[in-house]
Amino acid sequence: MTAEPDAAVDADAAPLGVSARPPRSLARAYWPIVATGAVLALVPLWLGDSRLMMGLAIDALVFGAYAVAFNVIFGSTNQLFLCVGALAGVGGYGSVILADRAGLPMVVAMLLATAVATALGGLLSWVAVRRSLDVIFTGIVTLAFSLSFANLLLGQRELTGGETGLVVSAGPDTFLGERVAAYYLFLGMLVAFLVVFRALQRSHVGWAFRALRDNELAAELAGVDVARYRVYAGLVGSAMLGITGAVFAHSDGFISPSTFEFGHVDVRVLVMLAFGGLGTLLGPVLGTVVFAVLDEVLIDFGQFRTVLYGLLIIALFLGFKRGAVPAVADLVRRLLARRSRSS
Amino acid sequence: MLEVAGLAAGYLGENVVEGVDVEVGAGQAVAIIGSNGAGKTTLFRALCGLLPVSAGRVRFDGRDVTGQPTHRLARAGLAYVPAERHLFPGMSVRENLLLGAYPKRPQAATEQLVFDLFPRLQERRGQPAGSLSGGEQQMLAVGRALMSRPRLLMLDEPSTGLAPKLARSAYQALQSLKQTGVTLLVAEQQVPLALSLADRGYVLENGRIRLQGAAAELERNPEVRRAYLGVA
Amino acid sequence: MKAVVLDGIVLGLQFGLLGVGMTLVYGLGGVLNLAYGQMAVLAAMVVAVTLGAGAPALVASGAGLLAAAAAGVVLDRTLMRPVYRQRGEHRVLLGLLLTLGVAFVIDGLLLWRYPSGALRLAIGGEAVPILGVRMRVGSLWATGISLAVAALLLGFRATTPGRAAHSVIQDEVGARLVGINPAAVRTFIFAASGALAALVAQTRSMTSPVGVTAGFDFTILALIVAVVGGLGSVAGAFLAGVLLGIVSTVSAFYIGQYITTIVLLAAAALTIVLRPRGLLGRSP
Repeated sequence: MTAEPDAAVDADAAPLGVSARPPRSLARAYWPIVATGAVLALVPLWLGDSRLMMGLAIDALVFGAYAVAFNVIFGSTNQLFLCVGALAGVGGYGSVILADRAGLPMVVAMLLATAVATALGGLLSWVAVRRSLDVIFTGIVTLAFSLSFANLLLGQRELTGGETGLVVSAGPDTFLGERVAAYYLFLGMLVAFLVVFRALQRSHVGWAFRALRDNELAAELAGVDVARYRVYAGLVGSAMLGITGAVFAHSDGFISPSTFEFGHVDVRVLVMLAFGGLGTLLGPVLGTVVFAVLDEVLIDFGQFRTVLYGLLIIALFLGFKRGAVPAVADLVRRLLARRSRSS
Repeated sequence: MLEVAGLAAGYLGENVVEGVDVEVGAGQAVAIIGSNGAGKTTLFRALCGLLPVSAGRVRFDGRDVTGQPTHRLARAGLAYVPAERHLFPGMSVRENLLLGAYPKRPQAATEQLVFDLFPRLQERRGQPAGSLSGGEQQMLAVGRALMSRPRLLMLDEPSTGLAPKLARSAYQALQSLKQTGVTLLVAEQQVPLALSLADRGYVLENGRIRLQGAAAELERNPEVRRAYLGVA
Repeated sequence: MKAVVLDGIVLGLQFGLLGVGMTLVYGLGGVLNLAYGQMAVLAAMVVAVTLGAGAPALVASGAGLLAAAAAGVVLDRTLMRPVYRQRGEHRVLLGLLLTLGVAFVIDGLLLWRYPSGALRLAIGGEAVPILGVRMRVGSLWATGISLAVAALLLGFRATTPGRAAHSVIQDEVGARLVGINPAAVRTFIFAASGALAALVAQTRSMTSPVGVTAGFDFTILALIVAVVGGLGSVAGAFLAGVLLGIVSTVSAFYIGQYITTIVLLAAAALTIVLRPRGLLGRSP
């Protein structure tokens, strides 16, 4: 990452900036989240009638939540968790199995499943930290976990329904099944996650995360317990993933291995963040909105959609190190700063 | 054989060496002396294409070779032995030497020359390079560079990590080399060793050439004596 | 049991070849080529199409090898240039992401063009008894080819170009110092890895069809074998390949397909966690 040369990065850059310090004042720090929440809250007024469109909007919120979680884990502490979908799947499948098969009350099932997802994510972090796994090895191990989970789902057919998936009984008959109500629930969750992300950024934990990401060795020498913060990030992010997966399962009414597989979830999250900005506050939101629209526009293209996604990944990561939007925002800021200096 | 004019190079936009002019005539031995951090390694890296040149020109045999990639220079007859040596640790001593001749076919006569110069290498020729001692690795690094029958041999602090006796014998080997007609350019912190070998020398301080002249002159120079030879 | 183990060796040799391609590209360029499997499938489709057009078997086979090798050269000379300019972790990450993108592009294009494409190389003939087990002719051919290529690869290591390539893995700066051009070596190896992938796609198709969707499976398999064998070690990839091949067939026979995949994945994960240098990799 290149160091910013001058005051081009100021505190207000936070929502779209990269590696920037979050704003000091409470209002400045959280207004982007409030604004985003307010804007997104208006969506059902526009799309509320169409069950299909609301379903897509919910999908977008869910992926936004996944992306925030990924930002906490990778954007903040550089742990390449290629198991975003799998951890959400642990939440989703776990909760459904506990509620439908074991007969637990839905909320209890959700909490338990989330706890399992959290523990698994924390475990992965812990192992990676203990064995000093670099980015690539962490990536491979988490990918192995993700693929193993998918195979487990496919193999344990009696429990999980295998390839055909599970119809969820607990949940869709409650408010969760109503598109508009569910939308607001997911919006609330997304906003909550953004608040957590922002709060983490502004706390000593966030400071440690930044130190760690910029220069791990220096951070260690400065007394930052890299291990602890990495596991911390792993736990928080995984909890976010687990609960999102669980709530989604009970809201949507149907889950299958493809709902949570790498090719469906992780890749999309990566592309979203490549566009919106890795490690930024609103990157996930921008990314998910753009891709919800893009996905719909491209739905008739069939396989060509895959090709376009591939080209997008290449273009985005080639052109912009941490995200298209931050790079553009940076450029704009620099231009504005230059203009204000010369005037 | 080697002409350097106005060379500047550095890291992350900042120049470590600037305005360096060096000349090495065919068959000569030239020393660049200076203390730690003076910029000797940076200079050598820039000359060999391991570091980009920010200003200046380098001519080898009359041809402008500024900024050319290392492997091209190696094939043109400029062999560089860095302080870190960069041997192939998993490959045997012999394999390291054979690769030294790349892309030409290694000649048995040259290999024998190296073994004559460094008998220890012959003893250990089947062993992996990574298992050799510091001194032996240094010998291997020089030997490998020699396999291509270079016209100019550049060595960065060949005495690094060697006990005084070994360092002296290394320089004796370099002296024999010089007698076979190889041109030498040596960067060295240990000034007495360097001046014992060199015909001419340059003193590099803070990235700039401060003094230059015949080796004997430099040895007599009071500033050099004070700064580098520990004489009041 | 004997039959299962023998099948495992047949499979394992091909695993090994597949792993070699992946491990070489990583060892030389520091890049995990996530589009590797797609190169194999691309070759398979080229072979299938060429055969369908009536070309003789060897020509079709060569066309497949060439296609994949060409893809490797193109990839190395274009997208990998900015990747090689990075160092260390940045290089690995960027390489991973860019090749992932390429994988999607190739996958999408192939699926779009040949939605139900698959390569089946049926080799006729009576099953031949080996060590008391009746082996299909397809298996024998696959084994023979794998062994021949393995021998070639190991022999290559002793030649000057082979040593030059290996030296870039050992110490890239050292290689440059002796006059080796690492960029040229990397391009060559990328092309060679494509050829290897193409070869394995063809040998696999001698015993079971290689479908157009098999890309990621090949990639993951290659990755597992490369990791278990030790990233950068050719001999390690072979050893790991054979061992994992046997584990794979035994597990599939006695337990089941899905568990087998999990076992292989776990092998890679455990290797990374317990012994990161793999079976024969260099100790860090």
